Amino acid sequence: MNVVNDLRKTIKKLLAEKKIDLFVGWEKGSLPMAATPIFITNEDEADRIVFDITCGNNLSVYFTKDKKQFADKKVGIAVKGCDARSVVLNILEKQIDRANVVMVGVPCHGVLDKKKVLAKTDGREVLELIDGGDTVTLKGNGYELSSDRSEILSSSCLSCIYPDAQEYDIFVGEPRGEVPNENRLKEIKEFEAMSTSEKWASTRAEYEKCIRCYACRNVCPSCYCNVCFVDQNDPAWIGNTCDFTDSMVFHIIRNLHVAGRCVECGACERACPMDINLLLLNRKVAMEVKDRFGDVAGLDINGKPAMVDFREDEKQDFIMG
Amino acid sequence: MNMVRLDKQKLNDFIRELSAEYSVYAPGKTNGKTEFIPVESSDEIDFNSHVTDMFPKGIFFPPAEVLFEYDEDGVREAQTSHRPIAVWGMRSCDARSLVMLDRVFGSAIQMPDNKNFQDPYWKEKYDNSLIFGIACNEPLSTCFCNWLGGGPHNRDGMDVFVVDAGDVYLMEPLSDKGIEIINSSSCLTNATGKDEALAVKLASDAESMMTAPLDTGGLGEKLTAIYDEPIWSEISAKCVNCGACTFSCPTCHCFDVQDEGKGKKGKRVRIWDSCMFPIFTMEASGHNPRALSSERVRQRIMHKYSYYPENYGENLCTGCGRCVMVCPVNLDIREVLKRIIAYKEQVI
Repeated sequence: MNVVNDLRKTIKKLLAEKKIDLFVGWEKGSLPMAATPIFITNEDEADRIVFDITCGNNLSVYFTKDKKQFADKKVGIAVKGCDARSVVLNILEKQIDRANVVMVGVPCHGVLDKKKVLAKTDGREVLELIDGGDTVTLKGNGYELSSDRSEILSSSCLSCIYPDAQEYDIFVGEPRGEVPNENRLKEIKEFEAMSTSEKWASTRAEYEKCIRCYACRNVCPSCYCNVCFVDQNDPAWIGNTCDFTDSMVFHIIRNLHVAGRCVECGACERACPMDINLLLLNRKVAMEVKDRFGDVAGLDINGKPAMVDFREDEKQDFIMG
Repeated sequence: MNMVRLDKQKLNDFIRELSAEYSVYAPGKTNGKTEFIPVESSDEIDFNSHVTDMFPKGIFFPPAEVLFEYDEDGVREAQTSHRPIAVWGMRSCDARSLVMLDRVFGSAIQMPDNKNFQDPYWKEKYDNSLIFGIACNEPLSTCFCNWLGGGPHNRDGMDVFVVDAGDVYLMEPLSDKGIEIINSSSCLTNATGKDEALAVKLASDAESMMTAPLDTGGLGEKLTAIYDEPIWSEISAKCVNCGACTFSCPTCHCFDVQDEGKGKKGKRVRIWDSCMFPIFTMEASGHNPRALSSERVRQRIMHKYSYYPENYGENLCTGCGRCVMVCPVNLDIREVLKRIIAYKEQVI
């Protein structure tokens, strides 16, 4: 609770001192499992701010969406480790002016994945969720149970090694530091160990679920093309049926468009109404980028994104065969 | 006609009987999500689902429906099944959603030449269908059908109303087709007065679990009055304009028509579309009349609670709550409606 109180005080101070025009954070949502984004322009509203396991949205997305509602404004933003990387990436890609953003880091202990919570409750509706830190209490009609935090965390959080913002103006609470995470690549290694036909079958099974709502794309701060390739019809790059080949083309192209730019925040996977495992390929590509080009997207504000950098000593075996 | 009983152990036999004439659909689990799937036995049915994750709309209005195919020899009707469809286990909200869609696709649109447009693809499937509704005994906290003229035991759009009463299903035929199927089944027995009293009690218990309804009277006029006001950019501020709400909505029915061809053969396909996407209104000139997110959000709300009710006298929303559950930014339609009703118009 102290973190939330400190965060509210920080926002009030920033607004009172006119260091920002608005602050974007999370407030309690209408459902127990979902906090919701809030845009604050006056100090009184700061008491609505929350920060807990339900704050899964990567708020950096609002800098780059088509409305550009933050243009010409000084914006304060609450950032988890991954969100901060998105802001940094957008700064490096010249979408945000560093001078116009005040980054307020918050110590992140991971955000929940609704499908894992529902697996815990056997599909029973959750009417109340209490974030008690290491344990989370879930209540509904005729039941109450508690879960280890780790059992209901988003897969992105389970593989996270940078829970704190590396770039920030103010940090509220205690940073957690780098989290050693030996198992973080387990799922990727398992995928790599598959035969080609197994890979094809498992990837196909995931993308066959797609209904092409594009929630994954629209919650992604790295997906900000003025006109996405799927929204073009002259020429049409892709068919619009739910045929899995079209869905797969969409996901693989998106995957490659965010290569070296995906911060692995998992917002796409949490937004997917069909529970597609969207993170696996994104993480695999991020791993390749790190291995070949030594770059972790959005980690270093003085760095150069892999896509705009070239070094003579980088691995070129994929070109030379 | 009075209620009849179906022992739950005889459901499988009943489904078999139906299968003789109909392709039977029921809630089932695919990849962990509940949706309406073709079933041949009761073993395939998921009985735990409240509102299924995916609605039954796709049975009658598929996400991608081939309208016709063509090749060098000419144009042909698409190869589809012409078997009539029976659906078991449709919730009240979903049965009502089909009534709403039927006004659009079935017969109601008066064309300028005074003919009523009828969509043959929809009509063949919907007009010949047999719908077994299932009452909601335990509505979810996201359900708000009672705001919109529905209720957990509402019977609109059903041929047979079904109540889950423990070991038995109590069934009440509502249409001629429903009466016929009940009379011809060998699985059913007459319900007792006790059964009927139980059905009444379950209905009132379910209704008492619903949240207090919001009075949506005058909503359409209010929306027309505030069309140009700044409330829309406030409401849409957090919307990221994905199509999760429209693609999880049992009443959204906008579509796109595309040709998928290669060489001398191909097909014309009708595909679900979403007013949330910029391309939905993009004109050939490059101008987009709904370029802003706030304009697209407004369109969705106006269509549901102003334009459609103006044409058909009822809101285009059943209160199923699916959009509330799937919205990635928790933009809750119930909150939006409350906000609009509470909004004081600015005098311009």
